[in-house]
Amino acid sequence: MRRFILAATACGVAACGVFLSAQHTPGAKFDLKKPLTITGTVTQIDWANPYVHILVKVQGQPAPALWAVEVEGPITLTDNGWTQESLPIGESIRVEGFAARNGSNQISGNKVTLVSSSKPVYVGVNGTPKVRPTATGPTPRWPDGRPRLGPPPGQTGYWGFPTRHGLSEDGQNIQMDDYGLLKNIADASKVAPFQPWALALYRTRQAEFLVHDPMFQACKPPGGPRQYQQLVSGMQFVEQPDFKRVFVMLGNGNRNRRIIYTDGRKQVGQIGGNDDNPLFYGQAVAHWEGDTWVVDTRLFNEEFWFDNGGLPHTEQLHLVERFTRPNLGTLHYEATIDDPGAYTRPWKSSWDLKWVAGEETPYFLCQDNRP
Amino acid sequence: MKRSLTHVVAAFVAVGMASVLATVDLAGQAPAQGQGQAPAAQGQGQGQGPGAAGGRAGGGNQQGRGGRGAQQQPPAAPTPRWPDGKPILGAVPGKPIDGWGAGVTTLPQGMLDQVPFQPWARAAYDIRQIDQFEPHTRCKASGVSRQFSTPYGTEFVEVPDLQRMYIIDNGGPNSFRIIFMDGRQFPEKIELTNYGYSIGHWDGDTLVVETRGLNEKFWLDTRGTPHTAQLKFTERFTRLNMETLEYQATIDDPGTYTRPWTTPKFQLRRRAGDEPFEYICQQYNQGPELMLGTQESIDNSKFYVP
Repeated sequence: MRRFILAATACGVAACGVFLSAQHTPGAKFDLKKPLTITGTVTQIDWANPYVHILVKVQGQPAPALWAVEVEGPITLTDNGWTQESLPIGESIRVEGFAARNGSNQISGNKVTLVSSSKPVYVGVNGTPKVRPTATGPTPRWPDGRPRLGPPPGQTGYWGFPTRHGLSEDGQNIQMDDYGLLKNIADASKVAPFQPWALALYRTRQAEFLVHDPMFQACKPPGGPRQYQQLVSGMQFVEQPDFKRVFVMLGNGNRNRRIIYTDGRKQVGQIGGNDDNPLFYGQAVAHWEGDTWVVDTRLFNEEFWFDNGGLPHTEQLHLVERFTRPNLGTLHYEATIDDPGAYTRPWKSSWDLKWVAGEETPYFLCQDNRP
Repeated sequence: MKRSLTHVVAAFVAVGMASVLATVDLAGQAPAQGQGQAPAAQGQGQGQGPGAAGGRAGGGNQQGRGGRGAQQQPPAAPTPRWPDGKPILGAVPGKPIDGWGAGVTTLPQGMLDQVPFQPWARAAYDIRQIDQFEPHTRCKASGVSRQFSTPYGTEFVEVPDLQRMYIIDNGGPNSFRIIFMDGRQFPEKIELTNYGYSIGHWDGDTLVVETRGLNEKFWLDTRGTPHTAQLKFTERFTRLNMETLEYQATIDDPGTYTRPWTTPKFQLRRRAGDEPFEYICQQYNQGPELMLGTQESIDNSKFYVP
């Protein structure tokens, strides 16, 4: 280790690292108290979800060492104008970041610059961010007057960029980062009306930087409100009035699809699920109340986290979601969490999603992470 | 580690069995027996609880889905059509949702000797007959033709007003594939993915789907017919009648074959009343280390740093 220059970087993660990927938190893998700087020659770019890795050869004795620099994922980098070719093999780069917790030759690439010109590379804020103007216009509607949840006819687009990244009860002013990590862990008890065990578990998950999240450990689906909370890839609604159902097509994680039934069926006895077979996405039925689409879901299993920030739930979870589309560009989402197994009373959390016109959800298959 | 290796070996054996059974089925016959092996083929043979998947496979067999169990079937109803005359490939409005059973076993069915393999590709194919280490069993999404081998079948979701079609793959990682029907051209640069970039158009009553931008992280069929990222894949879907969807693919991959070649015609049989259901390959996967490395997701030093 002594052959590397240890430098106390002035920037913390929030200040100079823009990690936007939907996978592990920086603190889960890197020790944010161990800043590190390395200089080396690029040998390979591993352009893959969820994080791009720059492999560099670092000179040292008795032999050069191979290091891996973890930067943002392909979706975020592409959005910021970077490509796999932006950093040629053989270039010398200087990397400032944090050391891996396990002591391996890995560093978070909070700041990556070319040695020759000091130009930054593969850092979101230093690229050329894609301009996505806010979509304006009236709420698109079906011939019967109901709002369309998806694109106007003949168009495309998806819902993304949620204004909240971790669930917390409406009315509480709680600061979280893009991963749903509390800025101040002392706020934990205010996030939701926890039962004691649930608060203890939430605190533990937060203190561990969400390292045990089943979604990034084993690609388990992001059920419940979490599917509307993902930052990078968003989701699409595909409405089929003819068949009285709505597909939710997720861009993130597993690129999952699920169905919300609007045909008046009951939640028990649906195909592929019953009381003995709780599901990641539960059994969802929906109806319209004026311009509000109300989705009622039960029969969740406990194998996933229903929130980026690691809020616990039980099989007793009864989720009621209200969607409104006040204009073309905005989807307002409100979740009511009623889970007497984990919380002392029902509570609400709401946020907005932004309509990304003219684009498909970016491709992100969690299982691609590994060879 | 020992435990997981045991599971892996068991999965190999199970997959092998499923493949043998599937091979017995000739094109055009729904693999009813293959459905029974489904959990194993999905890499879920071990420890499968009373989940959606297991229950479904059993139900499918009992009801003889796929037509084999039925005796003296009445003649199939004619091909359903949209008001504009185009065949309906998915469910018919006003009728219960249904889907297609598996029907594609191995692309070179009955014509292996005529497949213009490059030498490396034939060697790869032969090795795959032995090792059976198919990405699908590790919950990787199944691209193009492999979707139609999955025992739980597929559903075509046609969305005319958005000028696109989705193919819902019931098995595997609960995912979907998009086919653009708006007459667009392929973009200049396509990011390589498991599903590729698919554009469809109608040739008479046949839907022709061309796909580019496929990565090399999946097999084209359960038997491991190889391909490279140079693959240009063309599929032809013809709904012969209410009950039958004919499928044929043309493989144009100069990285793997000396010339383009076309598969035999396969038939997918309708599975009446079959709605897509939640099937999460990852849920009971017994080889998560092989899928994505479990803890290695975070601490992936093994993959990047020797």
